[in-house]
Amino acid sequence: MCDQTFVAATFGPCENCTKPSPLLNIYIKSEPINYCSFCVEQMACEGLTAGESLASLKRESESLKKKLDEERNKLSDVQLHQLAEKVEALSSLSVKTRRVLKGHNNKVLNMDWCKDKRRLVSSSQDGKVIVWDAFTLNKEHGVSLPYTWVMACAFAPSGCAVACGGLDNRCSVIPLSLDPNENLAAKKKAVAMHTNYVSGCVFTNSDVQLLTSSGDGSCALWDIESGQLLQSFHGHTADVLSLDLAPSETGNTFVSGGCDKKANVWDMRSGQNIQSFESHQSDINCVKYYPSGDAFASASDDATCRFYDLRADREVAVYEKDSIIFGASSVDFSFSGRLLFAGYNDYTINVWDVLKGSRVSALFGHENRISRVRVSPDGTALCSASWDNTLRIWA
Amino acid sequence: MSCCNSLAQVQKLVEQLRVEASMERIKISLTAVDLVQYCQDHRRSDPLLTRIAASSNPFKDKKTCVLL
Repeated sequence: MCDQTFVAATFGPCENCTKPSPLLNIYIKSEPINYCSFCVEQMACEGLTAGESLASLKRESESLKKKLDEERNKLSDVQLHQLAEKVEALSSLSVKTRRVLKGHNNKVLNMDWCKDKRRLVSSSQDGKVIVWDAFTLNKEHGVSLPYTWVMACAFAPSGCAVACGGLDNRCSVIPLSLDPNENLAAKKKAVAMHTNYVSGCVFTNSDVQLLTSSGDGSCALWDIESGQLLQSFHGHTADVLSLDLAPSETGNTFVSGGCDKKANVWDMRSGQNIQSFESHQSDINCVKYYPSGDAFASASDDATCRFYDLRADREVAVYEKDSIIFGASSVDFSFSGRLLFAGYNDYTINVWDVLKGSRVSALFGHENRISRVRVSPDGTALCSASWDNTLRIWA
Repeated sequence: MSCCNSLAQVQKLVEQLRVEASMERIKISLTAVDLVQYCQDHRRSDPLLTRIAASSNPFKDKKTCVLL
């Protein structure tokens, strides 16, 4: 006989697809696997380990989700408003319109305060970005951009530059100069580049980096000087509408909210999504951290605002009322975190008691929907931007 | 619910859920106490909460008496 060795194939039902066929006897990590050649090829191509398949992964994901829900529910041993029963009730708020900033020719979409507590920047559908002095109503700078719907604007921590972006799919940084005759638009520098509109931007703790959120479903961290993408954050399955940076004491995280009804918390260094919250029933329009950094609030088209505790990893309060049926577009906390100001599409701003969950007051005055509310850095005033082309300062 | 039809998507989802499941969580009775405490500690320095004198708030108009 010739010296030929044959691979003695066994014949029998495959351990994966259970069809009877010639089996390849292979060992993975010393475990014998008897799969048919088709299943072995499939396994090798798709990088699965033994026993995994689309169906088994789906089952694992379902069981992990159930386990997560159980873990979260275990911790919900008391309600926030129960703990807050001993806290004294708030006296009624005497907050009135103190200034009306007129100057935009179309809907004001966004605004941000400067750290000096008196200047603010606003951006509008008319393509203009204006820097105001809120005390004197003086317009310090005005930039005309070549596109409409400037949805994002932010003031640099140093007060020397502003960032803005929107339908041009970019976020640009404009250095502010003291010379009134200088054409600021010429010094505009495009930093961020997305594949869809830019919905929000914020400078990280210095003037060096910029964090943006976009309608393309991602957030990104950019180096302003070089325009380089430092980190990108993927995980949302729809447009990201808002983002907020954690207050500086608590580290390198930020929260984002989007049209997929999810609010995600991210680690800025690794790009990892560390926590995810899905309890809203519609698009999340705005997210904002609590001043201590341990919690955040969100505003949504489902007419509710919700408060999430990061250390307990769950929602702890819902701010809603039967009479409020219009979506909330923006939220911000007062300086101590006791009050939550929320702007709605029914032209009002509702003020909620964060701890007790009840509405303290409602602010009327705007003649169209509120697009943004922001409390000044020292907490003395609230600024609201609206589709009625004006901004109002309340104190 | 996101459509998890492709294998790569489901693998990513399972990875993400494993990361989240391994997180250390604290009971609300402990964390919420901190939230309430923060509010109480900073109550005095919140101008919108405790009404501060009109003279120190730059946005409130200072009323002056005019003697005719």
